[in-house]
This record gives sequence, C-alpha cells and structure tokens, in this order.
Amino acid sequence: MSTLVDPAGIAAGHPAPLDATTHIVPVAGTTATAEALRKPETARQQRRRPHIKGTIVLPADHTWTPQDGRLLEVHDLAVEFRMREGVAYAINGVSFHLDQGETLAILGESGSGKSVTAQAIMGILDTPPGYVTGGEVRYCGTDLLTLAEKSRRKVRGAQIAMIFQDALSALNPVFTVGNQIAEMFRIHRGMNATDAQAEAVRLMERVHIPGAAQRVKAYPHQFSGGMRQRIMIAMAIALNPAILIADEPTTALDVTVQAQIMDLLKELQHESGMGMILITHDLGVVADVADRIAVMYAGRLVETAPVGPVYANPRHPYTQGLLESVPRLDTKLGEILPAIGGLPPNLLAMPSGCPFHPRCKHAIDVCRTGTPPLLQQVTANGHVACHRVDHPDVLAASHRIATVPGGAATTEGVRP
Amino acid sequence: MNGEVILQARDLVKHYPIKAGVIKRTVGHVRAVDGVSFDLHAGETLGVVGESGCGKSTLGRLLLRLEEPTSGSVTFDGADLYTASGSMLRRMRRDIQIVFQDPYTSLNPRKTVGDIIGEPFDIHPDVVPKGGRRRRVQELLDLVGLNPEHINRYPHQFSGGQRQRIGVARGIALNPKVLVCDEPVSALDVSVQAQVVNLLEKLQRELNLAYIFIAHDLAVVRHISDRVAVMYLGRVVELGDEAQIYDHPTHPYTQALLSAVPVPDPSLRGTRQQIMLTGDVPSPANPPSGCRFHTRCWLAQQMAGDSVPPQCREALPDLVERPDGLSAHASACHFATPLGAAAGTA
Repeated sequence: MSTLVDPAGIAAGHPAPLDATTHIVPVAGTTATAEALRKPETARQQRRRPHIKGTIVLPADHTWTPQDGRLLEVHDLAVEFRMREGVAYAINGVSFHLDQGETLAILGESGSGKSVTAQAIMGILDTPPGYVTGGEVRYCGTDLLTLAEKSRRKVRGAQIAMIFQDALSALNPVFTVGNQIAEMFRIHRGMNATDAQAEAVRLMERVHIPGAAQRVKAYPHQFSGGMRQRIMIAMAIALNPAILIADEPTTALDVTVQAQIMDLLKELQHESGMGMILITHDLGVVADVADRIAVMYAGRLVETAPVGPVYANPRHPYTQGLLESVPRLDTKLGEILPAIGGLPPNLLAMPSGCPFHPRCKHAIDVCRTGTPPLLQQVTANGHVACHRVDHPDVLAASHRIATVPGGAATTEGVRP
Repeated sequence: MNGEVILQARDLVKHYPIKAGVIKRTVGHVRAVDGVSFDLHAGETLGVVGESGCGKSTLGRLLLRLEEPTSGSVTFDGADLYTASGSMLRRMRRDIQIVFQDPYTSLNPRKTVGDIIGEPFDIHPDVVPKGGRRRRVQELLDLVGLNPEHINRYPHQFSGGQRQRIGVARGIALNPKVLVCDEPVSALDVSVQAQVVNLLEKLQRELNLAYIFIAHDLAVVRHISDRVAVMYLGRVVELGDEAQIYDHPTHPYTQALLSAVPVPDPSLRGTRQQIMLTGDVPSPANPPSGCRFHTRCWLAQQMAGDSVPPQCREALPDLVERPDGLSAHASACHFATPLGAAAGTA
C-alpha cells in the first residue's frame, strides 16, 4: 500500500495498451474534469475541496453495544489523496459490514485501497495528503467519522484495534516490549506500572511467547519476526477490542511462521468472539480463514460473497483472472499461467467507465464509457460490480474455474 | 531439458566472520552456505526454496562470484569459476547473469532504460558492435514485452512489473547460458507476477537458458521448475525433480514446509493436515549439531518421544538417495521416508 503515498509509484508509466490522456473522465461523485486532471489543482484549490471533519464529543460513559450482532457498517466511503501531481481517488464508494465473530477478508493488489480503507476506519489516515470525503463508518450504530478526535481515541485500541505488516517498524525500538504492551493499560485503564507490567506478562503468555516473565524486559530487536508479530498481536488484543483489523499480518513472514501466526489469530478470535478484518493479497491465507471476502480493485469493491462461492464460482472477471493466474502448490498446471494482461490503473488517471475494462477480455462499449458498475446482488449473499455479470461468456469463465482444482488426487504427499 | 551439465557446484561453503570488541577480533562465523553441491543442466530450471536466512541468496551470489567462497568449487563449462581471472573470468561472467529481487533498487534511477540495458555492452564490447547497440537494446525491450520506443525513459516512469522486465532484459543482454533469478517475482503484485513468470518461461524456450530460480513462494517454484532444491540453514536437505519434491517429499522439513502453505481452495479447509513446526529457525551462527533440523523436527520427536534419536543429534546426514527404495531422490535425513510410509515407522 505504500505506493499510495508514494507519488512516483502512482505516477509511474502507464500500460501501453491504454492511452491515459484520452480516457480521463470524471470519477463518479467528484467534479474533476479531464481539463482539471491534465492541469493539477493548485494547493489552494485542493484545500477548498470539502472533506469530513468530526466534531461530536461522546459522554465519557458511552457504552458500545452491537445491534443484532452487527459490529461495523461502512457505507459509501470515499477517500482521496491530495498531492502536487493531482488528486488520487484511493477509495470510491466502498460499502461493507462486519458481524460479531466473523472474519471478513479484503483482498486486493497494492493500490487497490485495502489498507486505506482500514486506516479510514481506524482514523489514522495521514492528513494531509489523505482526506475522507464521503460516506459513513458506523460502529455499533454510531458514525465514527462524525466524532471528534478526543472521542475517536477512546474507540481506537479499546474497541477497534489493528496490527500491521511490519512489526519491526510498528514497535518502538527504544522501549522494552513489556513497556509498550503495558502502556495500553496505563493510558486506557489508568493502571499503575506494576499492575500494567503484570498484565503485559499475562498477555505475552496468551500469545504463546515462551519465557514471557523474562522476555518482558527485552527490546523489539531481540525478538524474531514471528515473535515480534506476536507482541503486536498482544498489544492489539490488550483491551479486548470488538474488532481486530489485521493489515497483511503475515506477508513479511516465512510460511512455517505464517501458519503459526494465523493459528494464533484463529485461536484468539475463537476465545473472544471478536470480528476480524483481514487485509491481504494472499489467496491461500484467505481460503484458510475467511468467512466472507470483499475483492477490491482501483478503490472499489468488485465482488463480495462468502468464501466458498468466490473460489468455486467467481463472478467478476477480475476475481476470475486473479484465481486463474495464481500458481498452485498441489497441481502443476499447464506451461503458461493465464495472466491478467496490462497493469493496475494509475489512480491519478483512472480509466473511464469500469476501472477494470482496459484489462478485461469481456469489455464492451458500456464498460468503457458508461458509469462505473455498482455492486448488484447476483446470489443470496453475493454481490458483483460488473456490467457483464450475466453474459454467457463471463458465466462460462466462472464455471471453468470451478473445475480447475482437480489436483486433490495428486496431493497425497502433502496430505497424509 | 536433459541437456549436458553446464554448471557444477561442489561443497560450496561461505562463512561470514562475526567481529566483536575493540580490535575486531573474529569471534565466530555465520555459516550462510555450508556445503552445497548440485548440477545444473543446459536449458533447465533449478528451483531453490527455503525460509529467509537459509542461505539461498548467498548461494546465488556465489554462483556469479559476487562473493568469494570460503571453500568449494563451481565448474562452469569445464572451467573453475573461482580460479579464473582477467579475461577468462570476464568471459565466464558473460555467460552467468543475475536478475535481482527488488526492481525498485536494482535499477539506477539516473540512467535511462537504454543505458541500463546497454551497460553490459560497455563491459563486453565484442558482443554487439558499437553502432548496433541501440537497435539491440530495442530488440531486447521488445523481447521482454516492453515498448521499444520507451528506450529513453527512466525507471521511475515504469511500474514494478515493467521494471522487473527491464531487469530481465539486462540479464539476458549478453546471451548468457545461466540466469540466476533471485526472488524475481516476490516484490510484484499477484496479477503481474504471472506475467513475469510467463515471460521467463518464454525466454527459456526461445534462448535455451538455464535458470537458478531462487524464491520462497513454493507454488511459483513448482510452476516454473524442472528440479527443486530445498535449503535449510545453509544446506540442501532435499533435491529432486518437481513432482518428487512436491508430491512425494521424504525429508520432514520439506513435508512440514509444504503442509504450511495455504492452498487457495476453501473447500479443503480443515481437511488438510498441517504439520506445525514449533519455534524459529536457529541462528546460522550457531547451528545445531548433527542434523541441522533436529531441534524442530516433528519426525524425530514422534519417533523418540520427547528426546531426539542420538543419530539425528550426532551425525550430519548426507544428501543421498536411500537404497531401500524409500526415497528415489536425494534427501538428507537419516529416516527419509514418504509421508504415507512414515506412519509405519513411527
């Protein structure tokens, strides 16, 4: 996701098949024109763009109770980054929800807006350049975006906690890990140092760090990658949050350690019944732990459904391409991987129509020039944003994938 | 695929000294690569997999003589890579090239794509005559699927996948026989990864390249490799062709590694038996005695209760085929057996 705040990454060369300048058309919900995109806005023009600023202060004794098990409801969220090169529309109307005890996986490539979504929910967007320009983030019925920073701080960590990809840079190198875990209790719960330290040891034991009583005085660099990730998880679950957002929690880890960490997260979720949002690009991890999947592309949701149907019958051409192009461990497919052609779009010069159309083999005129497709219900719990979702070719592609994993019989070596 | 052996590594060892104190006394060694032998045939792909710190990247650098080995030899086309010098070494380096992992840091941001891909010709001017270089660079750009007109662009004007294509074009500029690919796709997005993997396979067919494909993504390695070497703490623990390693692994480490990889198929959830390894990889500065894997080995624990069979603790197993037919390919375990049969010995 770092490419989002890296202007050079976004402004990088555009795919050859798409001539960027001829396809610039306003993104829905904004007033940008082709003219404006060719000539970046001045800093003053950018400052005048409206964005959401929270002001409501909740009473100190406010309690959070989910209604009908619904923890989080994100509605039509929009985030933009205002930079010298222009405005990048990182999220364009994303809606989803999360229930108690559920694991929602947000799947997407870098630049698709999955980490920015998490940052907007947590209220930790770097502002500037990032601004929330629309939508709602309802936690237990209250729109977090309308809350003043003072109230938001009470939600962050205590109600909604987050773990990050890179544990080494997320932890402070000059404090002991015990100190950093105990800080949660000292600040949010007002505990004294001795009690907080004892709580830290208890938490480190809960995330299965061996010799917790001694290791509590060690510094982050004295731990291995997997152990550091455990410490970050311990900090995240310290205050028993109702929601845990895990942003690529295992991407930097080796597979054997990844399996340990995913196991730990499953165990903790089972114990506490918290809802989990898992942000990742790893199709394998998602298949193992998620209940529902939300696939993102270019700042939009393109498909949401329970995990089984997405893998068995992906309906959006992007999801289909993604599942086809990933080599599998349990079967050797043909010589050539069915790759998706082209490149993810440049957020500063989004293609007109459906953002996926330059890479989509089913695209027709309405995809290229019409309004971007909205999520529509296609099955009981499945939603897809595609103009061509009911076209026979797209349906056929969905079935062909369903028959590909014929490798179950050849994997006895892996599964005794 | 079954071409002649063009590159032969024998007992390659690379130890890095650990210095400490005011006078920088050597207090120990990091055994990054500790006795690695293999053959590479013309036109084949040898995958090298392992967790971080197992020495796979150091091995790649040794094969180009970017690092001098502590001991051991690499024979390329019948000549020793480490005793060669001067023009002889330059000739050999022309035939062994490398593609690096990070396409963002391995390209000089101040040079144009034409300069980057053409730079090998400055060092080896006899490959392409001076007048024909620009055309050759454009041919290379075309070959790796980039627009030849972009020859004057700078790296920052390309995306990650395109930059990796530039790195590949530079790697094949001198018509090498061996291309060492050090994690060439791990920095790329999933949908772009497949494009680069396809490109590497296409180039191999067209140019009869042999690849050393170093990666930690086991699925990608299975897709591209003819043979696979699994490394653990500086040593190859199992070596065989792709089907042998992935379908009938006999080393307990390989078995655990493969079972830890999540398979993108939710219908298999709960049906897959995972072998959970406890703990982390030991430090290569102080590797365990005997079999390097015995401190984490699930098979040793299963066989001898809480202790470890003395054999595993004391003797370093050789990377050989076991005569009893239990492992048809080389495996460095005293008790190498396919998984199904392991239940019988336990």
